[in-house]
Amino acid sequence: MVEEPAANSRGGINLKKGLVIVGIVVLILAVVVIGQYNSLVSMETNVDAQWAQVENQFQRRADLIPNLVSTVKGFASHEQEIFQEIAEARSRLLSAQDPQSQMEANNSLDASLGRLLAISENYPTLKADASFIRLQDELAGTENRIAFERKRYNESVEKWNRSIRRFPMVIVANMFGKAQYPYFEASEQAKSVPQVEF
Amino acid sequence: MGKTGRLVSLVLVVLLLMVGSSMAAFPKPMGYVNDFINVIDPVSYKEMEIIAKNLKESQGIEIAVVTVASTDGMTAKEYAVELFNQWGIGGSSYDTGLLMLLVIGEEDGRVQREIQVEVGYGLEGDLPDGKVGAILDNYVLPHFSEGQYGKGLLEGMKAYAGELTGESYVVDTEENDAIKTLISFFVIVILLLIFSRRTPLIIGPRGTTRGRRGGGYMPPPRGPSGGGFGGFGGGKSGGGGAGRKF
Repeated sequence: MVEEPAANSRGGINLKKGLVIVGIVVLILAVVVIGQYNSLVSMETNVDAQWAQVENQFQRRADLIPNLVSTVKGFASHEQEIFQEIAEARSRLLSAQDPQSQMEANNSLDASLGRLLAISENYPTLKADASFIRLQDELAGTENRIAFERKRYNESVEKWNRSIRRFPMVIVANMFGKAQYPYFEASEQAKSVPQVEF
Repeated sequence: MGKTGRLVSLVLVVLLLMVGSSMAAFPKPMGYVNDFINVIDPVSYKEMEIIAKNLKESQGIEIAVVTVASTDGMTAKEYAVELFNQWGIGGSSYDTGLLMLLVIGEEDGRVQREIQVEVGYGLEGDLPDGKVGAILDNYVLPHFSEGQYGKGLLEGMKAYAGELTGESYVVDTEENDAIKTLISFFVIVILLLIFSRRTPLIIGPRGTTRGRRGGGYMPPPRGPSGGGFGGFGGGKSGGGGAGRKF
């Protein structure tokens, strides 16, 4: 360390002190920001992981539909309109890219499937068919799983949306351009999961 | 009351409300079979406890049977999922649990008669929803329609256990207990003979005499039972399974 000239020593010490204080403050801020940022990242990862679970169930549902439709076709081949509608809703779901349009596509699939099941009420032999019952169980199970994963997704979104509005998280969130996630609202059909009744 | 006093009581009320809303009032598990509304006959009850205990010990699979009169404003399915996860049915590392929930009661003046089978994550591969539903149709509901709830649940449990283990579950009760006692008596006599003659070569590896994994079943515990249920293993379910209204 170089010896300071005597005349400058007082001012030099003050300057040094100031620098040290600024340094400490910057360090503390950095630690706070890093901590906040890390918890943001882990929360966001959680939301994404939950959404991936929802997507898995969408996929599973889309995979079931061709089987279901072909079974119903075997008994009610002339109901072309509804088959067309379901095929369209299914391909919309599969081609949807962002969560918002996936949710919408899933909800419109809900509506179409509800109509298909309503139509199947008119065919007693179809209703009694073992593979139709099995597919209906699988479909209902998938819808239950979607409902369950949706709930967990919404919980993680709620936590995220609440956190990024809070001080001091809100500053860090704005700094890194973090936005709110949309909730996954259930359609009316999905709320009343189809039941196989006897 | 001062300002702070009012604030404190407000906080307390809010806390109480939070606690009340976050804890749905689920009963505590009494055993594998929890017949809260007394619709299961004693014979079926005993057999189900034996099968469940055996499954737990041989395969690590936990099957719970629950009968309730109300689902607290939830659908039976929601109630089943919540109860399953709250009790943690099935081992926690593989989530190998299964819950049979029977609801017989009234909801908003309407009669609610429903069975929901909830399958843990780890058993979804062996028991897809379609199979769960088919077992309900073929083994459970026929007995329910005759009012034999215990029998229906028992037959269902046997079918699920059979599906999960690949073995047929025929539970022997009293008659075979006598034979078992006789066999274990002979085993003890033979062991005593072996030990008294000090010929260690004949003695197999430790535990062979008790090695009944997967095959038979453990005889029911003697003495006071029901007091020692240690709870479930922490398994989870994500909504798999099937249900029927009847």
